[in-house]
Amino acid sequence: MGFFSTLGDIFRILRHVFRQIFKRPFTYFYPFEDREYPERTRGRHIHVRENCTACKQCVRVCPVVAIRIDVMDQKYNKDAALYFDYTRCIFCGLCVQACRFNALYHTKVVDISAENREDLIYGPDEITTLDREPLEWRGRRFR
Amino acid sequence: MKDVLEEATEIWFGPQHVSAHGWAAKLTLVGDYIVECDPNAGYFHRSAEKCLEFRDFRQGALIMERLCMLEAFLAEYPYVSAVEKIAGIDVPDRAKIMRTIMMEASRIHSLQFWWGQFAAELGLFTMLLWPWVDREFFLDAFEELTGSRHAVSYNTPGGVKYDFTDKFLSKLDRAIQRLEERMPKFRDMLLRSPTFKVRTKGIGRFDANQGLRWGISGPNIRACGVPMDLRKDSPDENLTYDMADWEVPTYTNEDHPGESDAYDRMVQRFLEIETSVDIIRQLLPQVPEGEIYERKARGKVNRLPEGEAYGRVEGTRGVTSLYLRTMDKAQTPYRAKIRGPCFNSYYSLKHLVPGNKFADFIVIFGSLDPYPGWWDR
Ligand code: SF4
Ligand code: SF4
Repeated sequence: MGFFSTLGDIFRILRHVFRQIFKRPFTYFYPFEDREYPERTRGRHIHVRENCTACKQCVRVCPVVAIRIDVMDQKYNKDAALYFDYTRCIFCGLCVQACRFNALYHTKVVDISAENREDLIYGPDEITTLDREPLEWRGRRFR
Repeated sequence: MKDVLEEATEIWFGPQHVSAHGWAAKLTLVGDYIVECDPNAGYFHRSAEKCLEFRDFRQGALIMERLCMLEAFLAEYPYVSAVEKIAGIDVPDRAKIMRTIMMEASRIHSLQFWWGQFAAELGLFTMLLWPWVDREFFLDAFEELTGSRHAVSYNTPGGVKYDFTDKFLSKLDRAIQRLEERMPKFRDMLLRSPTFKVRTKGIGRFDANQGLRWGISGPNIRACGVPMDLRKDSPDENLTYDMADWEVPTYTNEDHPGESDAYDRMVQRFLEIETSVDIIRQLLPQVPEGEIYERKARGKVNRLPEGEAYGRVEGTRGVTSLYLRTMDKAQTPYRAKIRGPCFNSYYSLKHLVPGNKFADFIVIFGSLDPYPGWWDR
Protein backbone atom coordinates (compact mmCIF):
# COMPACT_ATOMS: atom_id res chain seq x y z
CA MET A 1 0.00 0.00 0.00
CA GLY A 2 3.03 2.27 0.49
CA PHE A 3 3.38 2.79 -3.23
CA PHE A 4 -0.24 3.88 -3.74
CA SER A 5 -0.29 6.23 -0.77
CA THR A 6 2.88 7.90 -2.03
CA LEU A 7 1.25 8.23 -5.44
CA GLY A 8 -1.78 9.78 -3.80
CA ASP A 9 0.44 12.26 -2.00
CA ILE A 10 2.16 13.20 -5.24
CA PHE A 11 -1.22 13.82 -6.90
CA ARG A 12 -2.33 15.95 -4.01
CA ILE A 13 0.80 18.06 -4.30
CA LEU A 14 0.38 18.36 -8.08
CA ARG A 15 -3.21 19.46 -7.67
CA HIS A 16 -2.09 22.13 -5.21
CA VAL A 17 0.64 23.31 -7.60
CA PHE A 18 -1.83 23.56 -10.51
CA ARG A 19 -4.22 25.54 -8.42
CA GLN A 20 -1.47 27.97 -7.47
CA ILE A 21 -0.59 28.61 -11.13
CA PHE A 22 -3.99 30.13 -11.84
CA LYS A 23 -4.16 32.20 -8.66
CA ARG A 24 -3.28 35.87 -8.64
CA PRO A 25 0.10 36.40 -7.03
CA PHE A 26 0.23 38.19 -3.70
CA THR A 27 3.27 40.23 -4.71
CA TYR A 28 3.30 43.47 -6.70
CA PHE A 29 5.34 44.28 -9.76
CA TYR A 30 6.70 47.12 -7.73
CA PRO A 31 7.91 50.16 -9.65
CA PHE A 32 5.03 49.84 -12.11
CA GLU A 33 2.22 48.96 -9.76
CA ASP A 34 1.64 49.47 -6.12
CA ARG A 35 -0.96 48.91 -3.49
CA GLU A 36 -3.45 51.61 -2.66
CA TYR A 37 -2.45 53.91 0.14
CA PRO A 38 -5.08 55.09 2.63
CA GLU A 39 -6.34 58.64 2.71
CA ARG A 40 -4.29 59.59 5.79
CA THR A 41 -0.94 58.28 4.52
CA ARG A 42 1.84 60.47 5.82
CA GLY A 43 4.13 60.76 2.80
CA ARG A 44 6.17 63.67 1.51
CA HIS A 45 4.68 67.13 1.96
CA ILE A 46 3.20 69.62 -0.40
CA HIS A 47 3.30 73.31 0.39
CA VAL A 48 0.63 75.67 -0.92
CA ARG A 49 2.42 79.00 -1.05
CA GLU A 50 -0.70 81.03 -1.78
CA ASN A 51 -2.08 80.15 1.68
CA CYS A 52 1.12 80.36 3.68
CA THR A 53 1.49 83.31 6.05
CA ALA A 54 5.06 82.68 7.19
CA CYS A 55 3.88 82.09 10.75
CA LYS A 56 6.71 79.59 11.37
CA GLN A 57 4.53 77.24 13.43
CA CYS A 58 5.59 74.27 11.34
CA VAL A 59 9.26 75.09 11.94
CA ARG A 60 8.70 75.46 15.65
CA VAL A 61 6.87 72.18 16.13
CA CYS A 62 9.14 69.94 14.08
CA PRO A 63 10.88 67.60 16.54
CA VAL A 64 13.90 66.90 14.34
CA VAL A 65 14.46 70.37 12.84
CA ALA A 66 13.75 69.19 9.32
CA ILE A 67 12.18 72.43 8.08
CA ARG A 68 14.07 75.62 7.29
CA ILE A 69 12.16 78.78 6.46
CA ASP A 70 13.28 81.68 4.34
CA VAL A 71 10.91 84.60 5.04
CA MET A 72 12.74 86.93 2.66
CA ASP A 73 11.87 84.80 -0.37
CA GLN A 74 8.34 86.03 -1.09
CA LYS A 75 6.60 84.93 -4.21
CA TYR A 76 3.14 85.99 -3.06
CA ASN A 77 2.28 88.61 -0.48
CA LYS A 78 3.38 87.52 3.05
CA ASP A 79 4.39 83.98 2.13
CA ALA A 80 7.68 82.19 2.73
CA ALA A 81 9.90 79.59 1.17
CA LEU A 82 10.20 76.27 3.01
CA TYR A 83 13.10 73.86 2.68
CA PHE A 84 12.32 70.29 3.76
CA ASP A 85 15.22 68.07 4.65
CA TYR A 86 14.05 64.52 3.98
CA THR A 87 17.21 63.02 5.41
CA ARG A 88 15.89 64.18 8.78
CA CYS A 89 12.09 64.08 8.51
CA ILE A 90 10.40 61.26 10.43
CA PHE A 91 6.94 61.85 8.89
CA CYS A 92 5.30 62.45 12.23
CA GLY A 93 2.66 64.82 10.89
CA LEU A 94 3.06 67.49 13.57
CA CYS A 95 3.84 70.24 11.04
CA VAL A 96 0.67 69.52 9.07
CA GLN A 97 -1.37 69.67 12.27
CA ALA A 98 0.31 72.88 13.38
CA CYS A 99 -0.47 74.73 10.15
CA ARG A 100 -3.72 76.66 10.72
CA PHE A 101 -3.84 78.16 7.23
CA ASN A 102 -4.21 75.00 5.11
CA ALA A 103 -0.82 75.56 3.57
CA LEU A 104 0.88 72.25 4.31
CA TYR A 105 -0.31 68.74 3.48
CA HIS A 106 0.99 65.22 3.30
CA THR A 107 0.81 63.38 -0.01
CA LYS A 108 0.69 59.68 -0.72
CA VAL A 109 4.18 59.62 -2.23
CA VAL A 110 6.13 57.57 0.28
CA ASP A 111 9.03 56.28 -1.83
CA ILE A 112 11.38 59.21 -2.11
CA SER A 113 14.94 58.40 -2.97
CA ALA A 114 17.86 60.27 -4.44
CA GLU A 115 21.42 59.67 -5.50
CA ASN A 116 22.96 62.04 -2.99
CA ARG A 117 22.01 63.82 0.19
CA GLU A 118 21.63 67.27 -1.33
CA ASP A 119 18.86 66.06 -3.63
CA LEU A 120 16.79 65.06 -0.60
CA ILE A 121 16.60 68.66 0.61
CA TYR A 122 13.46 69.79 -1.18
CA GLY A 123 13.60 73.49 -1.93
CA PRO A 124 10.64 75.81 -2.54
CA ASP A 125 10.31 74.67 -6.16
CA GLU A 126 10.12 70.95 -5.40
CA ILE A 127 8.01 71.16 -2.27
CA THR A 128 5.24 73.13 -3.96
CA THR A 129 4.89 70.73 -6.89
CA LEU A 130 4.39 67.02 -7.24
CA ASP A 131 6.85 65.61 -9.74
CA ARG A 132 4.51 62.72 -10.33
CA GLU A 133 0.88 62.06 -9.63
CA PRO A 134 0.76 59.36 -6.97
CA LEU A 135 -2.43 57.70 -8.11
CA GLU A 136 -2.13 57.99 -11.86
CA TRP A 137 1.35 56.73 -11.92
CA ARG A 138 0.44 53.77 -9.75
CA GLY A 139 -2.24 51.17 -10.07
CA ARG A 140 -1.28 49.93 -13.52
CA ARG A 141 -1.92 46.24 -13.31
CA PHE A 142 -0.11 43.74 -15.46
CA ARG A 143 -2.24 40.82 -14.47
CA MET B 1 41.24 16.71 40.59
CA LYS B 2 41.17 19.08 37.66
CA ASP B 3 39.11 22.25 37.82
CA VAL B 4 36.53 22.21 35.04
CA LEU B 5 36.75 25.96 34.71
CA GLU B 6 40.31 25.60 33.43
CA GLU B 7 38.88 24.28 30.20
CA ALA B 8 36.16 26.89 29.99
CA THR B 9 35.74 28.94 26.82
CA GLU B 10 34.36 32.43 26.73
CA ILE B 11 32.27 33.38 23.75
CA TRP B 12 30.25 36.43 22.86
CA PHE B 13 26.69 35.86 21.78
CA GLY B 14 25.98 38.90 19.65
CA PRO B 15 25.98 41.72 18.73
CA GLN B 16 26.33 40.37 15.18
CA HIS B 17 24.40 37.16 15.76
CA VAL B 18 21.16 37.05 13.77
CA SER B 19 19.04 36.37 16.83
CA ALA B 20 20.83 39.09 18.78
CA HIS B 21 19.45 42.20 17.18
CA GLY B 22 21.65 44.69 18.92
CA TRP B 23 22.60 43.13 22.25
CA ALA B 24 25.40 40.89 23.42
CA ALA B 25 25.90 38.41 26.23
CA LYS B 26 29.19 36.92 27.32
CA LEU B 27 28.85 33.18 27.87
CA THR B 28 31.32 30.93 29.62
CA LEU B 29 31.07 27.39 28.31
CA VAL B 30 32.38 24.08 29.56
CA GLY B 31 31.85 21.70 26.71
CA ASP B 32 28.29 22.35 25.60
CA TYR B 33 27.12 23.64 28.96
CA ILE B 34 26.91 27.25 30.01
CA VAL B 35 28.37 27.94 33.45
CA GLU B 36 28.17 31.70 33.43
CA CYS B 37 26.15 34.26 31.54
CA ASP B 38 26.87 37.96 31.58
CA PRO B 39 24.24 39.99 29.72
CA ASN B 40 25.45 43.33 28.44
CA ALA B 41 23.29 46.35 27.83
CA GLY B 42 24.32 49.45 25.98
CA TYR B 43 24.63 48.48 22.33
CA PHE B 44 21.32 50.12 21.54
CA HIS B 45 21.65 53.21 23.67
CA ARG B 46 20.07 56.26 22.04
CA SER B 47 19.87 58.47 25.16
CA ALA B 48 16.11 58.78 24.92
CA GLU B 49 15.82 60.33 28.37
CA LYS B 50 18.18 63.14 27.41
CA CYS B 51 16.35 63.58 24.10
CA LEU B 52 13.10 64.03 25.99
CA GLU B 53 14.60 66.96 27.89
CA PHE B 54 15.04 68.82 24.62
CA ARG B 55 11.59 68.16 23.17
CA ASP B 56 8.44 70.00 24.14
CA PHE B 57 5.38 68.21 25.44
CA ARG B 58 3.79 67.62 22.06
CA GLN B 59 6.96 66.09 20.62
CA GLY B 60 7.94 63.85 23.52
CA ALA B 61 5.49 61.07 22.72
CA LEU B 62 7.24 60.60 19.37
CA ILE B 63 10.47 59.68 21.13
CA MET B 64 8.65 57.24 23.40
CA GLU B 65 7.00 55.35 20.59
CA ARG B 66 10.36 54.87 18.91
CA LEU B 67 11.63 52.92 21.92
CA CYS B 68 9.39 50.01 20.99
CA MET B 69 7.80 50.22 17.58
CA LEU B 70 5.89 46.98 18.09
CA GLU B 71 3.72 48.38 20.86
CA ALA B 72 3.76 52.01 19.72
CA PHE B 73 0.27 52.82 21.03
CA LEU B 74 1.25 51.55 24.46
CA ALA B 75 4.77 52.94 24.56
CA GLU B 76 3.75 56.55 24.04
CA TYR B 77 1.03 56.43 26.68
CA PRO B 78 3.10 56.83 29.92
CA TYR B 79 4.52 60.13 28.67
CA VAL B 80 1.15 61.43 27.51
CA SER B 81 -0.44 60.39 30.79
CA ALA B 82 2.24 62.11 32.88
CA VAL B 83 1.87 65.35 30.91
CA GLU B 84 -1.91 65.23 31.33
CA LYS B 85 -1.57 64.76 35.08
CA ILE B 86 0.77 67.75 35.50
CA ALA B 87 -1.21 70.05 33.21
CA GLY B 88 -4.55 68.94 34.63
CA ILE B 89 -6.12 68.09 31.28
CA ASP B 90 -9.42 66.21 31.16
CA VAL B 91 -9.66 63.75 28.32
CA PRO B 92 -13.00 63.34 26.50
CA ASP B 93 -14.77 60.02 27.02
CA ARG B 94 -14.59 59.09 23.36
CA ALA B 95 -10.82 59.54 23.32
CA LYS B 96 -10.42 57.40 26.44
CA ILE B 97 -12.16 54.40 24.96
CA MET B 98 -10.44 54.82 21.59
CA ARG B 99 -7.09 54.80 23.34
CA THR B 100 -7.94 51.60 25.15
CA ILE B 101 -9.06 49.83 21.98
CA MET B 102 -5.94 50.81 20.07
CA MET B 103 -3.71 49.76 22.94
CA GLU B 104 -5.20 46.30 22.96
CA ALA B 105 -4.88 46.04 19.17
CA SER B 106 -1.26 47.06 19.53
CA ARG B 107 -0.75 44.38 22.17
CA ILE B 108 -2.13 41.68 19.89
CA HIS B 109 0.10 42.86 17.07
CA SER B 110 3.15 42.81 19.28
CA LEU B 111 2.38 39.33 20.60
CA GLN B 112 1.88 38.00 17.09
CA PHE B 113 5.25 39.38 16.11
CA TRP B 114 6.92 37.76 19.11
CA TRP B 115 5.19 34.43 18.57
CA GLY B 116 6.49 34.17 14.99
CA GLN B 117 9.92 35.29 16.00
CA PHE B 118 10.16 32.85 18.89
CA ALA B 119 9.17 29.96 16.63
CA ALA B 120 11.83 31.05 14.15
CA GLU B 121 14.45 31.12 16.89
CA LEU B 122 13.61 27.47 17.51
CA GLY B 123 14.03 26.76 13.80
CA LEU B 124 10.33 26.49 12.94
CA PHE B 125 10.35 28.98 10.10
CA THR B 126 6.88 28.22 8.78
CA MET B 127 5.46 29.34 12.09
CA LEU B 128 7.28 32.62 11.55
CA LEU B 129 5.28 33.50 8.46
CA TRP B 130 1.76 32.46 9.45
CA PRO B 131 1.29 34.84 12.40
CA TRP B 132 3.09 37.56 10.49
CA VAL B 133 0.58 37.32 7.66
CA ASP B 134 -2.24 37.85 10.17
CA ARG B 135 -0.29 40.67 11.75
CA GLU B 136 -0.21 42.44 8.38
CA PHE B 137 -3.98 42.94 8.68
CA PHE B 138 -3.53 44.78 11.96
CA LEU B 139 -0.86 46.94 10.36
CA ASP B 140 -3.27 47.74 7.53
CA ALA B 141 -5.83 48.86 10.10
CA PHE B 142 -3.25 51.03 11.88
CA GLU B 143 -2.27 52.57 8.58
CA GLU B 144 -5.88 53.31 7.74
CA LEU B 145 -6.33 55.02 11.10
CA THR B 146 -3.10 56.99 11.48
CA GLY B 147 -1.39 57.03 8.11
CA SER B 148 1.61 55.07 9.25
CA ARG B 149 2.18 51.39 9.87
CA HIS B 150 4.52 51.48 12.84
CA ALA B 151 5.33 55.03 13.96
CA VAL B 152 1.71 55.75 14.65
CA SER B 153 1.92 59.01 16.68
CA TYR B 154 -1.64 58.58 17.88
CA ASN B 155 -1.93 59.64 21.52
CA THR B 156 -1.35 63.26 22.35
CA PRO B 157 -1.87 65.16 25.62
CA GLY B 158 -5.59 65.93 25.61
CA GLY B 159 -6.89 63.07 23.51
CA VAL B 160 -6.09 61.29 20.29
CA LYS B 161 -5.18 62.66 16.90
CA TYR B 162 -7.25 60.68 14.44
CA ASP B 163 -10.90 59.68 14.57
CA PHE B 164 -12.25 56.21 13.81
CA THR B 165 -13.65 55.82 10.30
CA ASP B 166 -15.94 53.14 8.91
CA LYS B 167 -13.16 51.84 6.71
CA PHE B 168 -10.85 51.52 9.69
CA LEU B 169 -13.48 49.71 11.75
CA SER B 170 -14.10 47.21 8.98
CA LYS B 171 -10.36 46.63 8.62
CA LEU B 172 -9.93 46.09 12.36
CA ASP B 173 -12.88 43.73 12.35
CA ARG B 174 -11.40 41.76 9.48
CA ALA B 175 -8.05 41.51 11.27
CA ILE B 176 -9.68 40.21 14.46
CA GLN B 177 -11.88 37.76 12.58
CA ARG B 178 -8.90 36.38 10.74
CA LEU B 179 -6.99 36.07 14.00
CA GLU B 180 -9.84 34.23 15.70
CA GLU B 181 -10.17 31.90 12.75
CA ARG B 182 -6.53 30.98 12.39
CA MET B 183 -4.99 31.32 15.83
CA PRO B 184 -6.49 28.19 17.46
CA LYS B 185 -5.25 26.12 14.54
CA PHE B 186 -1.71 27.42 14.77
CA ARG B 187 -1.71 27.28 18.54
CA ASP B 188 -2.57 23.60 18.61
CA MET B 189 -0.09 22.91 15.84
CA LEU B 190 2.69 24.61 17.78
CA LEU B 191 1.91 23.46 21.31
CA ARG B 192 1.41 19.82 20.29
CA SER B 193 4.49 19.72 18.13
CA PRO B 194 7.02 17.27 19.63
CA THR B 195 9.93 19.44 18.50
CA PHE B 196 8.52 22.43 20.27
CA LYS B 197 7.83 20.49 23.47
CA VAL B 198 11.31 19.02 23.63
CA ARG B 199 12.94 22.38 23.08
CA THR B 200 10.86 24.35 25.58
CA LYS B 201 9.58 22.13 28.43
CA GLY B 202 11.54 22.57 31.62
CA ILE B 203 13.83 25.17 30.07
CA GLY B 204 14.41 28.49 31.82
CA ARG B 205 12.29 27.70 34.83
CA PHE B 206 11.76 30.19 37.64
CA ASP B 207 9.15 30.43 40.37
CA ALA B 208 6.91 33.33 41.32
CA ASN B 209 9.08 34.45 44.27
CA GLN B 210 12.21 34.60 42.19
CA GLY B 211 10.39 36.43 39.43
CA LEU B 212 8.98 39.05 41.76
CA ARG B 213 12.39 39.52 43.39
CA TRP B 214 14.00 40.14 40.02
CA GLY B 215 11.28 42.65 39.17
CA ILE B 216 9.80 40.69 36.31
CA SER B 217 6.29 41.76 35.37
CA GLY B 218 3.72 41.22 32.66
CA PRO B 219 3.03 37.88 30.99
CA ASN B 220 6.29 36.40 32.32
CA ILE B 221 5.10 36.64 35.92
CA ARG B 222 1.47 35.82 35.06
CA ALA B 223 2.70 32.55 33.59
CA CYS B 224 3.73 31.63 37.18
CA GLY B 225 0.11 32.04 38.24
CA VAL B 226 0.49 35.51 39.80
CA PRO B 227 -2.46 37.68 38.72
CA MET B 228 -0.42 40.89 38.58
CA ASP B 229 -1.82 43.28 36.01
CA LEU B 230 -1.88 47.07 36.09
CA ARG B 231 -5.02 47.09 33.95
CA LYS B 232 -6.91 45.57 36.90
CA ASP B 233 -4.77 46.49 39.92
CA SER B 234 -4.54 50.23 39.46
CA PRO B 235 -6.85 51.30 36.64
CA ASP B 236 -5.85 54.54 34.95
CA GLU B 237 -8.63 57.14 34.96
CA ASN B 238 -7.96 57.96 31.32
CA LEU B 239 -8.39 54.36 30.13
CA THR B 240 -11.58 52.37 30.20
CA TYR B 241 -10.64 48.82 31.08
CA ASP B 242 -13.41 48.76 33.69
CA MET B 243 -16.06 49.06 30.96
CA ALA B 244 -15.29 45.55 29.80
CA ASP B 245 -15.86 42.36 31.74
CA TRP B 246 -12.65 40.36 31.76
CA GLU B 247 -10.34 38.35 33.99
CA VAL B 248 -6.59 38.66 34.34
CA PRO B 249 -5.22 35.78 32.28
CA THR B 250 -2.99 33.49 34.31
CA TYR B 251 -1.68 30.08 33.50
CA THR B 252 -0.84 27.38 36.01
CA ASN B 253 0.93 24.27 34.90
CA GLU B 254 -0.27 21.19 36.81
CA ASP B 255 3.18 19.62 36.83
CA HIS B 256 4.88 22.53 38.55
CA PRO B 257 2.39 25.06 39.94
CA GLY B 258 3.85 28.45 40.77
CA GLU B 259 6.68 28.02 38.31
CA SER B 260 6.95 28.80 34.65
CA ASP B 261 9.16 27.47 31.89
CA ALA B 262 9.46 28.53 28.26
CA TYR B 263 6.46 26.38 27.28
CA ASP B 264 4.20 27.95 29.93
CA ARG B 265 5.15 31.42 28.84
CA MET B 266 4.14 30.55 25.29
CA VAL B 267 0.74 29.28 26.48
CA GLN B 268 0.34 32.39 28.63
CA ARG B 269 0.82 34.67 25.65
CA PHE B 270 -1.89 32.90 23.70
CA LEU B 271 -4.19 33.58 26.65
CA GLU B 272 -3.14 37.24 26.53
CA ILE B 273 -4.16 37.48 22.89
CA GLU B 274 -7.56 35.96 23.69
CA THR B 275 -8.12 38.44 26.52
CA SER B 276 -7.20 41.39 24.32
CA VAL B 277 -9.57 40.24 21.59
CA ASP B 278 -12.27 39.89 24.22
CA ILE B 279 -11.70 43.42 25.52
CA ILE B 280 -11.74 44.95 22.03
CA ARG B 281 -14.93 43.11 21.12
CA GLN B 282 -16.66 44.40 24.26
CA LEU B 283 -15.44 47.99 23.95
CA LEU B 284 -16.11 48.60 20.25
CA PRO B 285 -19.93 48.88 20.53
CA GLN B 286 -19.57 51.18 23.57
CA VAL B 287 -17.68 54.01 21.83
CA PRO B 288 -19.74 57.16 22.54
CA GLU B 289 -20.19 60.14 20.23
CA GLY B 290 -18.28 63.29 20.96
CA GLU B 291 -14.98 65.08 20.74
CA ILE B 292 -11.71 63.21 20.44
CA TYR B 293 -9.51 66.09 21.57
CA GLU B 294 -9.81 68.52 24.48
CA ARG B 295 -9.41 71.94 22.89
CA LYS B 296 -8.07 73.59 26.03
CA ALA B 297 -5.12 71.22 25.98
CA ARG B 298 -3.59 72.97 23.00
CA GLY B 299 -2.75 76.02 25.10
CA LYS B 300 -2.00 74.10 28.28
CA VAL B 301 0.79 71.91 26.89
CA ASN B 302 2.82 74.89 25.71
CA ARG B 303 3.89 75.75 29.24
CA LEU B 304 3.40 73.37 32.15
CA PRO B 305 3.30 74.32 35.86
CA GLU B 306 5.85 72.95 38.28
CA GLY B 307 5.09 69.39 39.24
CA GLU B 308 5.93 65.77 38.99
CA ALA B 309 3.91 62.84 37.74
CA TYR B 310 4.23 59.16 37.14
CA GLY B 311 2.56 57.74 34.05
CA ARG B 312 2.26 54.01 33.70
CA VAL B 313 0.60 51.35 31.63
CA GLU B 314 0.57 47.57 31.43
CA GLY B 315 2.59 47.02 28.29
CA THR B 316 2.89 43.86 26.26
CA ARG B 317 6.06 42.94 28.09
CA GLY B 318 5.22 44.25 31.55
CA VAL B 319 4.97 47.47 33.52
CA THR B 320 6.00 50.41 31.36
CA SER B 321 6.26 53.70 33.16
CA LEU B 322 7.76 57.13 33.10
CA TYR B 323 8.56 59.67 35.79
CA LEU B 324 8.29 63.26 34.64
CA ARG B 325 9.38 66.39 36.51
CA THR B 326 8.84 69.91 35.29
CA MET B 327 9.89 73.34 36.53
CA ASP B 328 7.52 76.29 36.58
CA LYS B 329 6.40 77.56 33.13
CA ALA B 330 8.49 74.85 31.53
CA GLN B 331 8.48 74.23 27.81
CA THR B 332 10.46 71.02 28.18
CA PRO B 333 10.73 68.44 31.00
CA TYR B 334 13.35 68.97 33.65
CA ARG B 335 13.83 65.24 34.01
CA ALA B 336 12.23 62.18 32.46
CA LYS B 337 13.03 58.69 33.67
CA ILE B 338 11.81 55.71 31.71
CA ARG B 339 11.22 52.32 33.28
CA GLY B 340 11.17 49.73 30.54
CA PRO B 341 9.81 46.25 31.28
CA CYS B 342 12.58 44.28 29.60
CA PHE B 343 15.59 45.43 31.61
CA ASN B 344 14.62 43.09 34.43
CA SER B 345 13.82 40.12 32.25
CA TYR B 346 17.06 40.59 30.30
CA TYR B 347 19.22 40.63 33.42
CA SER B 348 17.41 37.63 34.86
CA LEU B 349 19.27 35.64 32.20
CA LYS B 350 22.21 35.79 34.58
CA HIS B 351 20.36 33.38 36.87
CA LEU B 352 18.28 31.46 34.36
CA VAL B 353 20.91 30.45 31.84
CA PRO B 354 23.76 28.74 33.79
CA GLY B 355 23.39 24.98 33.75
CA ASN B 356 21.67 24.83 30.41
CA LYS B 357 23.05 23.78 27.08
CA PHE B 358 24.28 26.37 24.65
CA ALA B 359 21.45 25.67 22.20
CA ASP B 360 18.90 26.45 24.92
CA PHE B 361 20.24 29.93 25.49
CA ILE B 362 18.24 31.51 22.70
CA VAL B 363 15.12 29.61 23.79
CA ILE B 364 15.33 31.10 27.29
CA PHE B 365 16.08 34.52 25.90
CA GLY B 366 13.27 34.40 23.35
CA SER B 367 10.69 33.05 25.80
CA LEU B 368 11.02 36.20 27.94
CA ASP B 369 9.86 38.35 24.99
CA PRO B 370 12.60 40.92 25.29
CA TYR B 371 12.90 44.01 23.16
CA PRO B 372 16.31 45.75 23.17
CA GLY B 373 14.74 49.21 22.92
CA TRP B 374 13.35 48.81 26.42
CA TRP B 375 16.60 48.10 28.23
CA ASP B 376 18.81 50.48 26.28
CA ARG B 377 16.88 53.71 26.50
S1 SF4 C 1 6.48 65.43 9.35
FE1 SF4 C 1 7.36 65.76 11.39
S2 SF4 C 1 9.58 65.49 11.09
FE2 SF4 C 1 8.67 65.78 9.04
S3 SF4 C 1 8.87 67.96 8.65
FE3 SF4 C 1 6.83 67.65 9.55
S4 SF4 C 1 7.12 67.97 11.77
FE4 SF4 C 1 9.16 67.69 10.88
S1 SF4 D 1 3.28 76.34 6.08
FE1 SF4 D 1 1.64 76.83 7.52
S2 SF4 D 1 2.64 76.70 9.55
FE2 SF4 D 1 4.28 76.80 8.03
S3 SF4 D 1 4.79 79.00 7.89
FE3 SF4 D 1 3.27 78.58 6.28
S4 SF4 D 1 1.28 79.04 7.24
FE4 SF4 D 1 2.77 78.88 8.92
